[in-house]
Amino acid sequence: MANPDKNKALNTKKLKMPFGVPGHNLTEIEREVPADEPSALPVNEKLSVVGKRVKRVDALQKVTGAAKYTADIQLPGMLYGKFLRSPYPHARIKSLDVSAARKHPGVFAVIVQGKEGEQKDQYDGKELPRLRFAGQAIAAVAAESMNIAREALGLIKVEYEPLPFVVNLDEARKPGAPLVYEEVIEDRGSAGDVGVTAADEQKGNLRGPTTSSFFGGPRGDVEKGFAEADVILEKEYRTQVQTHCCLETHGAVADWRPDMLTVYSSNQSTRDTRNDLVELFGLPTSKVRVVTEFMGGGFGSKFGAGETGVAATWLSKLSGRPVKLMLEREEEQISAGNRPNSHQILKVGAKKDGTLTAVDLLSYGTAGVGLGAGVGRVAQDMYVCPNFKMAQYDVFTHAGPGQAFRAPGNVQGAFAMESLIDELAEKLDMDPLALRDKIDANDIRRIQRKAGAEKFGWKRRKAGADTGPVKRGIGVAQATWPRFVEMDSSVMVRINRSGSVEALSGVQDIGTGTKTIIAQVVAEELGLKAEDITIKIGDTNYPDALGSGGSKTAENITPPARNATYQAKLKMLQGVAAAWQVDVEDIELKNGEVFVKADPSKKMTFAEAAKRMPTSQVIATASRTADYGGFLSGSWLGHGRLGAVQFAEVSVDTETGFIKVERVVAVHTCGRPINPMQLESQINGGVIMGVGYALLEDRVIDPNTGHQVNTGLDTYKLPYAKEIPQIECVLIENYDAHSSTDVAGIGEPANIATAAAIANAVYNAIGVRIYELPITPQKVLAALGHI
Amino acid sequence: MIEFVLNRQLICTDKPAAMPLLDFIRREQRLTGAKVGCGEGDCGACLVLEGRLEEGRMQYRPIVSCLTPLANAHGRHIVTVEGLNLRHLSPVQEAVAEHSAAQCGFCTPGVIVALTALCLSEAPLSPEKAIAALDGNLCRCTGYQSLKKAALAVAARLPVERQNRAIPWLIEQGWLPAYFDAIPGQVAQIPRCSPAFAPGRPILGGGTDLLVQQAGQLMAEAPNLLCERWEIGGICEDGDSCFIGGGLPIAAILENRTLNRHIPGLGRCAPLIASTPVRNMGTLGGNLANASPIADLAIIFLAFETRVLLNGPSGRRELPLEDFYLAYKQIDKSPSEYLEGLRLRLPGARRLFSFEKVSKRTHLDIASVNTAIGLDFDGETMSRVRLSAGGVSPVPLLLRRTGAFLEGKMISESVLGRANALMQEEISPISDIRGSADYKRLLLRQLFFAHFLKLFPEHLSFENIHNEGLLAHEKHSRFRAREGAIRLSG
Repeated sequence: MANPDKNKALNTKKLKMPFGVPGHNLTEIEREVPADEPSALPVNEKLSVVGKRVKRVDALQKVTGAAKYTADIQLPGMLYGKFLRSPYPHARIKSLDVSAARKHPGVFAVIVQGKEGEQKDQYDGKELPRLRFAGQAIAAVAAESMNIAREALGLIKVEYEPLPFVVNLDEARKPGAPLVYEEVIEDRGSAGDVGVTAADEQKGNLRGPTTSSFFGGPRGDVEKGFAEADVILEKEYRTQVQTHCCLETHGAVADWRPDMLTVYSSNQSTRDTRNDLVELFGLPTSKVRVVTEFMGGGFGSKFGAGETGVAATWLSKLSGRPVKLMLEREEEQISAGNRPNSHQILKVGAKKDGTLTAVDLLSYGTAGVGLGAGVGRVAQDMYVCPNFKMAQYDVFTHAGPGQAFRAPGNVQGAFAMESLIDELAEKLDMDPLALRDKIDANDIRRIQRKAGAEKFGWKRRKAGADTGPVKRGIGVAQATWPRFVEMDSSVMVRINRSGSVEALSGVQDIGTGTKTIIAQVVAEELGLKAEDITIKIGDTNYPDALGSGGSKTAENITPPARNATYQAKLKMLQGVAAAWQVDVEDIELKNGEVFVKADPSKKMTFAEAAKRMPTSQVIATASRTADYGGFLSGSWLGHGRLGAVQFAEVSVDTETGFIKVERVVAVHTCGRPINPMQLESQINGGVIMGVGYALLEDRVIDPNTGHQVNTGLDTYKLPYAKEIPQIECVLIENYDAHSSTDVAGIGEPANIATAAAIANAVYNAIGVRIYELPITPQKVLAALGHI
Repeated sequence: MIEFVLNRQLICTDKPAAMPLLDFIRREQRLTGAKVGCGEGDCGACLVLEGRLEEGRMQYRPIVSCLTPLANAHGRHIVTVEGLNLRHLSPVQEAVAEHSAAQCGFCTPGVIVALTALCLSEAPLSPEKAIAALDGNLCRCTGYQSLKKAALAVAARLPVERQNRAIPWLIEQGWLPAYFDAIPGQVAQIPRCSPAFAPGRPILGGGTDLLVQQAGQLMAEAPNLLCERWEIGGICEDGDSCFIGGGLPIAAILENRTLNRHIPGLGRCAPLIASTPVRNMGTLGGNLANASPIADLAIIFLAFETRVLLNGPSGRRELPLEDFYLAYKQIDKSPSEYLEGLRLRLPGARRLFSFEKVSKRTHLDIASVNTAIGLDFDGETMSRVRLSAGGVSPVPLLLRRTGAFLEGKMISESVLGRANALMQEEISPISDIRGSADYKRLLLRQLFFAHFLKLFPEHLSFENIHNEGLLAHEKHSRFRAREGAIRLSG
């Protein structure tokens, strides 16, 4: 861990900042902050733009169809790329002949995966990577049209030696199961920093156990804890594989030129994508540009250059032409990532009053050929029990690799933990909320439970109380997610003499509203409106910033946006301050006007003030600084906890097994809310993703063929507008005084508790607990003993 | 030559007939507002408006352009999001922007088109209809709450009565660009084309199945495009029967006034079948000839005395719909014949009809099990009964024995209980991705009872049906109709 003082600024000043929850315990706290950062931002109530329901600054482009996504990029001479994919779940390539494809008219480049640099006609199978899932990329072509590219793929001759395969989590764990890897594979942290590490053992298809996370390792003495328990519950839970289903598939347009590589890419991190390409192609960082102006959803699956970015770049380099390579929906569903499934055996011990004495988790999960199926952070961190241990195993199968997916591990983990806590409450004859009040040390969640119970009208029914075939039930579940500081996040602010203002950053807006919140923060500092600020982001030509994932973008991009604005403002006002004979700090900007705080008769418009700038532009750039609160600082460190509580009401038709989620109340806290409208949209989206996970979504692989059965959106079921419950969001404002904006994220917490809350509500409705997601009508009827 | 108006511009192209309209719009015309989301008609990111000249006025419906054969655009007005842009934001665009309903924005152009289609429709409005206008739009970001708010805001600003006036009103009020005014004249000048039927070549209707399965192959093969030809037939009443053209889209059939007069409740089946855009495209002929055992229209029309009309080089012939299905995915039709339409014997005035369907997802899904029933009465007894079921045998099944058993009997719980026992012998469901065999048996039983509970709520009690329904542990349960629980469609 980094030394907290290492990044401490040399010149500091002291600020009194808001601290706590308005209406509950709001007070002030003194923080020592870098001297060049602005004064404390008051609570939202006292602000004009921040905390308000501001319309998205890019809404115009989106509603007119003018917003250009990666697939919309059209460059002169552009070619179309396409992958050849494995028809076998496990095979060795005996020989590969691409000569006919190379000669096919209209084909400009052919690459073979793993041998991109070697331009040959025939490849000996021994030199090629083994095929480990049905749909794994083997080769790619670039051609003048998509049809020619398809034809060329048909001309590639591959001789396969099919090998035994295993796609099922349980089968893959058995001794003698076909091995996915014979060698120990490198941990690439592909699925959101959960689960195994490089140090863990690999035996058969099992890797692990991992006994720690970034929250630490085992605590206390679990055996002693169980011995002290009055009640011990041990249950098994299973969750399915969920695919991201980004509406825009993965893809890139690469334009390799002698002086510069430009890659347009649908991705969550322009910086990481550029760094991948720099490393792979040995180019200077300054010669690679990655652009992501608009992108159609990522949910964790689009970090770095990835398969499409790398292949498009190779094909462009070899052909000398720009190349577009977008995945088709089927390829997306098979190869572009998923949330690993899980089999969890969770055991808790408790005293009669609810106090937890021990928590013990054993988990297995498969991220296919990838790693990252750990689920333990919820068990470890939600109810910080003094006696805790876990053993998490990753299980390799012949299936597409897992990727980070909105709250990796925590969604699976919360289903198990929150189901078990619900069961424990019943066993102890306690209300589930009262039990949580007893065992949950998190102050924010305590406030959330109270607020949510009021809004929801929490009054738990007796299971099976309804007499008709349609049973109603309610349930509650909680979320926990870490807060991350990522200091590699910079914003440049330019004020032009004409009075226009721009904010520039490499950060991308993946749909969450990053552009808008930057505009709000900048506008607040300058006394302007959000729409007055031009936001230029999603391009590595601008200052580097973090990737959008882990609910950390708002937390880490708004402080540098405000700090840079503040510094540019000081430069802009120098002339005016001199003319008025006041200090720049004595000048206030509000409602488009610039005036002296103590003497409002000295005033002019913002545009007039800008005209007095000494240069045509004033420019300031700031980076995220160490956290104010004396938390650990560094480039990638978790601190704090983001909590959430969600309540669900369901009706279950015991005749058909059909479940309808009637209502969800989602109570969330994310520090200072910048834009409640966007936050609500994120929460609604998280809840619906949870509804899909609870009831519908399930990747199915045929164990006989090893092929994914539901590769289309017709067979992989997602919720549509008519399936959704009424969702009510309760936002609890909370000030921690940890940065100049004091913002935290929302993306992951919104998605963690929903499925567990629905599962608990289904139990409350029908009196039978279902331990496996998704909860389908057939499972309901089976649980009720009807089939 | 394929000719149509794309937004403001007349298009004449010799691109392949089966080229997806979306590819033409994006690649050839460089209009990138419509997006490629799934390529299978499920996500609605590629929605465009299709305008047809009907009785001198344009009628617009949303369609998924990824599955629309380019040639089906012939003689039409195709409108993408770009064709809806004005100097200011339209009230639809405004509503989506104001309610933060565009998150990542990838689905947004499709949403704008779907909501504009709602404005263009002259059917009476309701909040439910406003939300249903988005039934074919997939959004992975917003949780649909903001989209629903936008839809309701749009509906609230539309006048309730817009009969025959939708387009002029929308132009006057700044909802639609003024060029829409001139479209009927432009479209009228495009010559109709009815090419001769080329036996042996594939037959392409609305594209909703074939463009998913074999788009590349169709592009090379110059298929028979029969939408135009079939429309001439339309729906015509002829004495005691009615002809229904095989090229008619599902929506046109379900919404048809003549058919709804004879088959009460037919229109209310629509929300359970596909999505709004797919219903506007998928044809009767396609739904029947695709030979899916769960084809909704096959199940519906099996509840009536219906004959299939085939046309081919050796002339016309017809046969009962139930005999059209031979085995799994096999039909009594040679490759050189095409399905001209159905001849429906018009039911008597007292004919009752019910359609029920259960699928994994309530809307926009294919059935796990579906069933329909047509009932005639002679006094208190059932005189003619036609009961159909899908998903429980290799073909869309007419349950002849169960129907015959019911004929001549009065409705009672015990009769239905015995009918169910017989029905269970007539079916042979298999376990697949849509459910286990036992689950489907149970579903069909429930849906069979649901037909009668829906049609005769006064005569029957759920409790008594269940006493006859073989599940002892349910004897205490009492029926309480709840929409979305047992889905009552009729």
